[in-house]
Amino acid sequence: MSEQFSIFQSRPSRLHALHPVTKLVLTFCLLAAALLLPGLWTNYLLFALAILPLATLGQVTGPLLRAVWPTVLPFAISVFLIQGIIYPHGTPLFSLGPLTLKREGLLLAISGTGRILMVVSNFILFALITRPDTLMLSLVQRGVPGGLAYIVVASIQLVPRFRARAAAILDAQHARGLETTGSLRRRLSAIVPLVVPLILSSLVDVEERALAIEARAFNHPGPKTSLIEITEAGWERPARWLLLLTVPVSLGLRLWLG
Amino acid sequence: MLTLDHVTYRYPNTERPALRDLSLTIPAGQFCAVVGANGAGKSTLAYTLAGFVPHFYHGTLTGAVTVAGLNTASVTLADLVRRVGLVFQNPYNQISGTKFTVREEVAFGLENLGVPRAEMLERIAATMQLTGIAALAERSPLTLSGGQMQRVALASVLAMQPQVLVLDEPASQLDPIGTREVLAAVQALAASRRITVVLIEHKLEWVAAFADRVLVLADGALVADGPPAEVLASDVLLTHAAGQTRYTQAARLARAQGGWPANQPLPVTLPQAVAAFQAARP
Repeated sequence: MSEQFSIFQSRPSRLHALHPVTKLVLTFCLLAAALLLPGLWTNYLLFALAILPLATLGQVTGPLLRAVWPTVLPFAISVFLIQGIIYPHGTPLFSLGPLTLKREGLLLAISGTGRILMVVSNFILFALITRPDTLMLSLVQRGVPGGLAYIVVASIQLVPRFRARAAAILDAQHARGLETTGSLRRRLSAIVPLVVPLILSSLVDVEERALAIEARAFNHPGPKTSLIEITEAGWERPARWLLLLTVPVSLGLRLWLG
Repeated sequence: MLTLDHVTYRYPNTERPALRDLSLTIPAGQFCAVVGANGAGKSTLAYTLAGFVPHFYHGTLTGAVTVAGLNTASVTLADLVRRVGLVFQNPYNQISGTKFTVREEVAFGLENLGVPRAEMLERIAATMQLTGIAALAERSPLTLSGGQMQRVALASVLAMQPQVLVLDEPASQLDPIGTREVLAAVQALAASRRITVVLIEHKLEWVAAFADRVLVLADGALVADGPPAEVLASDVLLTHAAGQTRYTQAARLARAQGGWPANQPLPVTLPQAVAAFQAARP
């Protein structure tokens, strides 16, 4: 277990220095714009004019692009193939044997891919510049239940441990002769001896971890303090409200321009 | 100080008690070890002292457990955590899972207790120094070795400044040098701050080297209680499959071959063994 699941990248950037809630609001507004704004190329434009400059400001352009392409490219290829070719009653652009690419399907694929590109890159950028614990701390300070925040952050952080255990169980069962390759029937029959120990050991872990955090006063009543200091510049609060104004603007443009 | 008065406990849906009619008193500042075979009730005793029995594991508890002046059954776990620190056997499950650095991990309990930040920083620095993890302060807790995690778990509990410290095999992942360092630090704390330490440990050489007193549990009952030199050299450990120190074992073998006088006490530590074998040399 030598990795951390969170993709947060620590950088001395002004974007990183923003309050987590400001980053959350920015992400929400960009998401709303991606989903609401009309136009075939709007999301590509948003990606070029908002996401890329923000990533540059946060010094995470490389990690962003490396994380975005593996998600978006397979989607883009499949959506172009499916929408472009299967779209019924469209205007044919060109044919290759029995397959005909239609104009309307192609436009849908361009629009859909742009939207996915924008949504995925928006969330990945947020994850790259925001530590999960500071986000949760700031949400708890705004009234989100501490238990809920703990579950969210611990789930993200502890995925590698779960994955390492799954690998160990797989190795152990292989060593005992379990076949996990070959026919579908053989693969299906291997599921139970792999999944049952994983679930049982995870349940034991949950109990032990519950005891351990109880022993460290997790449910202690009264106000909690924090070692991490989350700073917030004076302009951030009004900036958040200004950012939120872009949501009705996006909605209005959608209704107006269709 | 902690007191158990005729304590018997059964886990839910079980017939056999995990603890049977335990009565004992451990004064403040004493370093007390609990030994016994697997299933003897050692971990249950640890949970009972920390209040997890009966607040977390419900079951049936009779008798009275008083820790740092509080009857554990009458107060909440939240009342107890300020006074009783519990370090578990498995270090991996003691990491909170929400912190990015070791320093923040050590702060977890202090944040929950509402300790002011300035005081928190002082306590963290002191306990990290004491447990030998100062150099790991900025490392991710999830990337540490088992031994390092065990030190972090101990530091996290010590930072909360408990009056009673219960350690359930705290050195299971540590190498011998690390074990000696950690137990020496705990021993020094027990002496300087008058912390009551209850150490559950299978490795009897460490018990002999550090404990002031040894309790032997068998099938949930207390079968021996006394100074390490007396208890660890007695036959009661062998009777109840709790093992023996390698020094005691060597002396017993020597005695069986006529090389150890029947009236000479059996050694439980290395210095005792060396002195005794040197004295016995023709």
